[in-house]
Amino acid sequence: MSNEQVIQMPYGMLGFPEQKRYVILEHRENSPFLWYQSIDDPPLAFVITNPLLFKPDYSVDVESVLEEMSWIQEGKEDHVELYVVVNIPKGAPEKMTANLVGPVLINMRARQAVQVVLPESSYSHRHPLLERD
Amino acid sequence: MLILTRKLGERITIGDDITVTLLEIKGGQVKLGIEAPRHVSIHREEIYERIRHENLSSCGIGEADLSEAASLLASVASGDHGTES
Repeated sequence: MSNEQVIQMPYGMLGFPEQKRYVILEHRENSPFLWYQSIDDPPLAFVITNPLLFKPDYSVDVESVLEEMSWIQEGKEDHVELYVVVNIPKGAPEKMTANLVGPVLINMRARQAVQVVLPESSYSHRHPLLERD
Repeated sequence: MLILTRKLGERITIGDDITVTLLEIKGGQVKLGIEAPRHVSIHREEIYERIRHENLSSCGIGEADLSEAASLLASVASGDHGTES
Protein backbone atom coordinates (compact mmCIF):
# COMPACT_ATOMS: atom_id res chain seq x y z
CA MET A 1 0.00 0.00 0.00
CA SER A 2 1.73 3.18 -1.09
CA ASN A 3 1.51 6.22 1.11
CA GLU A 4 -0.17 8.31 -1.55
CA GLN A 5 -3.29 6.21 -1.38
CA VAL A 6 -3.78 6.78 2.33
CA ILE A 7 -6.53 9.19 3.30
CA GLN A 8 -6.16 11.03 6.58
CA MET A 9 -9.21 11.80 8.72
CA PRO A 10 -8.13 14.34 11.36
CA TYR A 11 -11.34 13.76 13.34
CA GLY A 12 -11.97 10.14 12.36
CA MET A 13 -15.39 8.77 11.55
CA LEU A 14 -18.15 9.60 14.06
CA GLY A 15 -17.78 7.17 16.94
CA PHE A 16 -14.29 6.18 15.75
CA PRO A 17 -12.06 9.14 16.67
CA GLU A 18 -8.92 7.03 17.07
CA GLN A 19 -8.88 5.56 13.58
CA LYS A 20 -7.58 8.33 11.35
CA ARG A 21 -6.06 6.58 8.30
CA TYR A 22 -8.09 4.90 5.59
CA VAL A 23 -7.82 3.51 2.09
CA ILE A 24 -10.59 3.09 -0.48
CA LEU A 25 -10.85 -0.41 -1.93
CA GLU A 26 -13.04 -1.45 -4.84
CA HIS A 27 -15.65 -3.99 -3.87
CA ARG A 28 -15.70 -5.81 -7.20
CA GLU A 29 -16.49 -5.21 -10.84
CA ASN A 30 -19.93 -3.68 -11.52
CA SER A 31 -20.48 -2.95 -7.86
CA PRO A 32 -21.40 0.58 -6.76
CA PHE A 33 -19.87 -0.13 -3.37
CA LEU A 34 -16.44 0.62 -1.98
CA TRP A 35 -14.76 -0.51 1.20
CA TYR A 36 -13.53 2.37 3.32
CA GLN A 37 -10.86 0.42 5.08
CA SER A 38 -9.11 1.52 8.28
CA ILE A 39 -5.35 1.06 8.23
CA ASP A 40 -4.95 1.52 11.97
CA ASP A 41 -7.56 -1.10 12.80
CA PRO A 42 -7.84 -3.60 9.93
CA PRO A 43 -11.11 -5.30 10.99
CA LEU A 44 -12.73 -1.88 10.66
CA ALA A 45 -14.13 -1.32 7.16
CA PHE A 46 -17.15 0.78 6.28
CA VAL A 47 -19.13 0.30 3.09
CA ILE A 48 -19.57 3.53 1.16
CA THR A 49 -21.09 4.53 -2.15
CA ASN A 50 -21.66 7.53 -4.38
CA PRO A 51 -25.01 9.01 -3.26
CA LEU A 52 -25.69 10.57 -6.65
CA LEU A 53 -26.21 7.10 -8.12
CA PHE A 54 -29.29 6.73 -5.96
CA LYS A 55 -30.37 10.29 -5.24
CA PRO A 56 -29.31 12.55 -8.12
CA ASP A 57 -30.56 15.71 -6.39
CA TYR A 58 -28.57 15.06 -3.21
CA SER A 59 -26.56 18.08 -2.26
CA VAL A 60 -24.40 19.11 0.66
CA ASP A 61 -23.35 22.64 1.50
CA VAL A 62 -19.59 22.13 1.71
CA GLU A 63 -18.56 25.76 2.16
CA SER A 64 -17.91 25.62 5.91
CA VAL A 65 -16.26 22.22 5.57
CA LEU A 66 -13.84 23.50 2.94
CA GLU A 67 -12.91 26.30 5.27
CA GLU A 68 -12.56 24.19 8.38
CA MET A 69 -10.40 21.63 6.59
CA SER A 70 -8.29 24.43 5.05
CA TRP A 71 -9.03 23.00 1.61
CA ILE A 72 -9.82 26.44 0.17
CA GLN A 73 -6.58 28.06 1.25
CA GLU A 74 -4.59 25.29 -0.32
CA GLY A 75 -6.49 25.48 -3.59
CA LYS A 76 -7.61 21.91 -3.19
CA GLU A 77 -11.36 22.47 -3.10
CA ASP A 78 -11.96 21.11 -6.60
CA HIS A 79 -11.13 17.57 -5.69
CA VAL A 80 -13.75 16.85 -3.09
CA GLU A 81 -15.78 13.70 -3.62
CA LEU A 82 -18.96 12.88 -1.79
CA TYR A 83 -19.71 9.45 -0.32
CA VAL A 84 -22.33 8.05 2.03
CA VAL A 85 -22.17 5.15 4.47
CA VAL A 86 -24.17 2.07 3.45
CA ASN A 87 -26.01 -0.38 5.65
CA ILE A 88 -27.34 -3.83 4.83
CA PRO A 89 -29.41 -5.75 7.38
CA LYS A 90 -27.93 -9.23 7.80
CA GLY A 91 -29.42 -11.60 5.22
CA ALA A 92 -31.68 -8.91 3.75
CA PRO A 93 -29.66 -7.13 1.04
CA GLU A 94 -32.85 -5.84 -0.58
CA LYS A 95 -33.28 -3.62 2.49
CA MET A 96 -29.96 -1.82 1.97
CA THR A 97 -29.90 1.84 2.95
CA ALA A 98 -27.53 4.79 2.88
CA ASN A 99 -27.06 7.42 5.55
CA LEU A 100 -27.63 10.77 3.86
CA VAL A 101 -27.35 12.72 7.13
CA GLY A 102 -23.67 11.93 7.70
CA PRO A 103 -21.86 12.05 4.36
CA VAL A 104 -18.10 11.58 4.04
CA LEU A 105 -16.26 14.23 2.06
CA ILE A 106 -12.98 13.03 0.62
CA ASN A 107 -10.48 15.42 -0.88
CA MET A 108 -8.54 13.25 -3.31
CA ARG A 109 -5.80 15.76 -3.86
CA ALA A 110 -5.20 16.63 -0.20
CA ARG A 111 -5.68 12.94 0.72
CA GLN A 112 -7.92 14.05 3.57
CA ALA A 113 -11.49 13.27 4.54
CA VAL A 114 -14.11 14.32 7.04
CA GLN A 115 -17.52 12.98 8.00
CA VAL A 116 -20.00 15.81 8.40
CA VAL A 117 -23.36 16.03 10.14
CA LEU A 118 -26.29 17.67 8.34
CA PRO A 119 -28.47 18.50 11.35
CA GLU A 120 -31.14 20.60 9.68
CA SER A 121 -31.50 18.50 6.55
CA SER A 122 -34.61 16.62 5.48
CA TYR A 123 -32.51 13.65 4.42
CA SER A 124 -32.90 10.23 5.97
CA HIS A 125 -30.19 8.31 7.78
CA ARG A 126 -31.74 5.19 6.25
CA HIS A 127 -32.47 6.13 2.67
CA PRO A 128 -33.47 2.95 0.75
CA LEU A 129 -31.16 2.22 -2.19
CA LEU A 130 -33.60 -0.11 -3.88
CA GLU A 131 -36.81 1.63 -4.92
CA ARG A 132 -39.80 -0.36 -3.75
CA ASP A 133 -43.04 -0.11 -5.73
CA MET B 1 -22.06 15.03 36.66
CA LEU B 2 -21.62 18.68 37.59
CA ILE B 3 -24.99 20.39 38.02
CA LEU B 4 -25.25 24.19 37.85
CA THR B 5 -28.26 26.45 38.21
CA ARG B 6 -28.39 29.38 35.79
CA LYS B 7 -30.84 32.23 35.15
CA LEU B 8 -31.94 33.45 31.73
CA GLY B 9 -29.05 35.17 29.95
CA GLU B 10 -26.40 33.73 32.24
CA ARG B 11 -23.49 31.71 30.95
CA ILE B 12 -21.21 28.91 31.86
CA THR B 13 -17.70 28.54 30.57
CA ILE B 14 -16.00 25.26 29.75
CA GLY B 15 -12.23 25.38 29.55
CA ASP B 16 -10.73 28.53 28.06
CA ASP B 17 -12.70 28.81 24.88
CA ILE B 18 -16.22 27.40 25.22
CA THR B 19 -19.20 29.33 26.57
CA VAL B 20 -22.80 28.23 26.82
CA THR B 21 -25.52 30.89 27.20
CA LEU B 22 -29.07 30.22 28.38
CA LEU B 23 -31.02 32.17 25.76
CA GLU B 24 -34.63 31.22 26.28
CA ILE B 25 -36.85 29.14 28.53
CA LYS B 26 -40.27 28.24 27.19
CA GLY B 27 -42.49 25.42 28.43
CA GLY B 28 -40.36 22.32 28.67
CA GLN B 29 -37.69 23.67 26.32
CA VAL B 30 -34.55 25.70 26.78
CA LYS B 31 -32.61 27.37 24.01
CA LEU B 32 -28.82 27.35 24.39
CA GLY B 33 -26.24 29.43 22.58
CA ILE B 34 -22.88 27.73 22.32
CA GLU B 35 -19.64 29.43 21.36
CA ALA B 36 -16.72 27.14 20.72
CA PRO B 37 -13.70 26.87 18.42
CA ARG B 38 -14.46 25.47 14.98
CA HIS B 39 -12.67 22.22 15.63
CA VAL B 40 -15.00 21.36 18.51
CA SER B 41 -17.91 19.43 17.07
CA ILE B 42 -21.29 20.06 18.64
CA HIS B 43 -24.27 17.88 17.82
CA ARG B 44 -27.72 17.17 19.11
CA GLU B 45 -27.15 13.87 20.84
CA GLU B 46 -29.81 11.94 18.93
CA ILE B 47 -28.39 12.92 15.53
CA TYR B 48 -24.86 12.08 16.60
CA GLU B 49 -26.05 8.71 17.94
CA ARG B 50 -27.92 7.93 14.71
CA ILE B 51 -24.81 8.50 12.59
CA ARG B 52 -22.57 6.66 15.02
CA HIS B 53 -24.94 3.70 14.92
CA GLU B 54 -25.08 3.68 11.10
CA ASN B 55 -21.28 3.79 11.01
CA LEU B 56 -21.00 0.97 13.49
CA SER B 57 -23.39 -1.36 11.71
CA SER B 58 -21.87 -0.59 8.30
CA CYS B 59 -18.68 -2.20 9.61
CA GLY B 60 -20.50 -5.46 10.17
CA ILE B 61 -21.64 -5.98 6.58
CA GLY B 62 -20.59 -9.38 5.27
CA GLU B 63 -19.17 -9.98 1.82
CA ALA B 64 -22.07 -12.27 0.87
CA ASP B 65 -24.72 -9.65 1.66
CA LEU B 66 -22.71 -6.95 -0.08
CA SER B 67 -22.28 -8.97 -3.26
CA GLU B 68 -25.96 -9.85 -3.26
CA ALA B 69 -26.84 -6.17 -2.81
CA ALA B 70 -24.56 -5.21 -5.71
CA SER B 71 -26.20 -7.86 -7.92
CA LEU B 72 -29.67 -6.65 -6.98
CA LEU B 73 -28.77 -3.09 -7.96
CA ALA B 74 -27.17 -4.25 -11.21
CA SER B 75 -30.25 -6.26 -12.16
CA VAL B 76 -32.53 -3.31 -11.41
CA ALA B 77 -30.35 -1.05 -13.53
CA SER B 78 -30.25 -3.39 -16.51
CA GLY B 79 -33.25 -5.72 -16.11
CA ASP B 80 -36.19 -3.33 -16.10
CA HIS B 81 -36.48 -3.17 -19.84
CA GLY B 82 -36.20 -6.88 -20.58
CA THR B 83 -33.33 -6.42 -22.97
CA GLU B 84 -31.70 -9.82 -22.62
CA SER B 85 -31.49 -11.66 -25.91
